Amino acid sequence: MAFWIELLISGLVAGLVIGLSALSITLVFGIARFPNAATGDTMTVGAYGALLGHRATNSLLVGGLTGAIAGAIVGFLGYWFIFRKLAQRSNVALLVASIGLAFVLRAILGVSFGHSQQVFQLPLVRPWRIGDVPVHPNDLVLAGACATILAIVFAILHLTPIGRRMRAVADDPALARVSGISPSSVMTVLWLLAGAVSASAGIVAGIKTVVSPEMGWDLLLPAFAAAIVGGIGSPVGAVVAGLLIGVVQEMATPFVGFTYKIALSFLLMLVVLLVRPRGLFGKLEGAR
Amino acid sequence: MSVLEIDNLSGGYSEVNILNGVTVSVGAGEIVTVAGTNGAGKSTLAKAVVGLLPRVEGEIRFEGSVINAVPTEMRANRGIGYVPQVANIFPSLTVQENLEVVVGVTDQRQRIAELFAVFPALASRRRTRAGSMSGGERQQLAYARALMTRPRLIVLDEPTAALSPALVSETFERIRALPSIGASVLLIEQRARQALAISHRGVILDGGRVAMEGPADTLLADERAANLYLGQHG
Ligand SMILES: Nc1ncnc2c1ncn2[C@@H]1O[C@H](COP(=O)(O)OP(=O)(O)OP(=O)(O)O)[C@@H](O)[C@H]1O
Ligand SMILES: [Mg+2]
Repeated sequence: MAFWIELLISGLVAGLVIGLSALSITLVFGIARFPNAATGDTMTVGAYGALLGHRATNSLLVGGLTGAIAGAIVGFLGYWFIFRKLAQRSNVALLVASIGLAFVLRAILGVSFGHSQQVFQLPLVRPWRIGDVPVHPNDLVLAGACATILAIVFAILHLTPIGRRMRAVADDPALARVSGISPSSVMTVLWLLAGAVSASAGIVAGIKTVVSPEMGWDLLLPAFAAAIVGGIGSPVGAVVAGLLIGVVQEMATPFVGFTYKIALSFLLMLVVLLVRPRGLFGKLEGAR
Repeated sequence: MSVLEIDNLSGGYSEVNILNGVTVSVGAGEIVTVAGTNGAGKSTLAKAVVGLLPRVEGEIRFEGSVINAVPTEMRANRGIGYVPQVANIFPSLTVQENLEVVVGVTDQRQRIAELFAVFPALASRRRTRAGSMSGGERQQLAYARALMTRPRLIVLDEPTAALSPALVSETFERIRALPSIGASVLLIEQRARQALAISHRGVILDGGRVAMEGPADTLLADERAANLYLGQHG
């Protein structure tokens, strides 16, 4: 029993990483209307940013903020220099551009930091025991940080004027403009937010495992699976599906082995798409 | 003075012209009906006025100044309200959020309270997701949203098309009252007779051109207009 609860906990932590990156994908898809393949490498930027910030200050909080800001900057620069210029083009053009941006980011990171794996030097803490279950304090800190980030994102979306405008643009860009909403201000905030959120996912992944230039690209596929399973464009769906995929992957590892657990997110995606094509939380009227 | 002057306007969604030299004006306090068969270019004309038509030639003037180069969102801020033919609310936002989201309203709370007083059905559903409302309620919300900025010109694209017959005359009454609150109206309607009955003037589009125009009662009495465009008893 304790073994399974341990797997569940590590599944939830992995799920938070997937959920945050899926949230970034689904926000961009809902508002800028294309699948952003640079999400994974923005995660990597976040992880390296946090690594540098942590090394410089020995504070995980400062490291995390550094990484998130780095991600936000990358998100904004991608928008300003690439996606803004292609806004009138097809979403295939935007997807291809984002794949290009992804390669550029990875190359820059590889040249700057080398290809060897790096780790966050954290003090070893003895896990707490709750019954038979070992609980790592770091996991709790990370889960708390993720929950805080999610709360901030949802508060922005639902409680602030700019968040309302973002949801309006997601619903109907033309009607949003007719209502006086300037697309460029919404897009600027979207990309800062999407960059910071994917960076946060990368930071958590980096702290849990290792940091390398390829890490984000490897995490991109489960992130897309979660965005689709949750219902593309649905922020709540992205997070729930991320947690679901994280837990399913971890709990299935004893049966299918480490190598094949990635494949499970696709199995789950196929099943959900067959049973419920608009995803778990997909909008009914989103069939535009 | 004219609130809106459309001067020899041509344009379309691609290289093809949908509008071919349309000239229409709306004077202060006027309701002007634009009628015409399906595909005549009525909605396209409305989009040109609010800045959603990709390509236009000719001139569009609002309160005397040329607005061809003014982006859609700035036209809204300047006082042009628009209720599109379809997709005229934000379905995933609540009723209240649909109104709050409109930019450039300084006394937002007060304005929303005023509009809820005019549309009591909306007030009781302020926390409802707009997408789950009935056609009539959506239409009211679409109006309220367009009226948030106290526009001096409001462009209505077939406001009665999706309504049950009972709601149609109520809607025309509401439109008739718009000039008294300071909004001149460009009214696009298939129900041309009923629309002309509350209008000062009318324009009939055909193939992106003005086929007929004149005072509303002249058009209503006109034999040729009746035969070709209005139907005998609309
Ligand atoms: N988004 C668009 N892209 C390309 N062509 C369009 C678009 N919308 C309309 N058209 C074309 O422009 C022409 C005029 O359409 P428009 O919608 O202005 O007609 P309408 O007079 O409003 O008709 P209805 O009474 O059916 O609403 C039609 O031939 C239509 O096919
Ligand atoms: Mg039309």
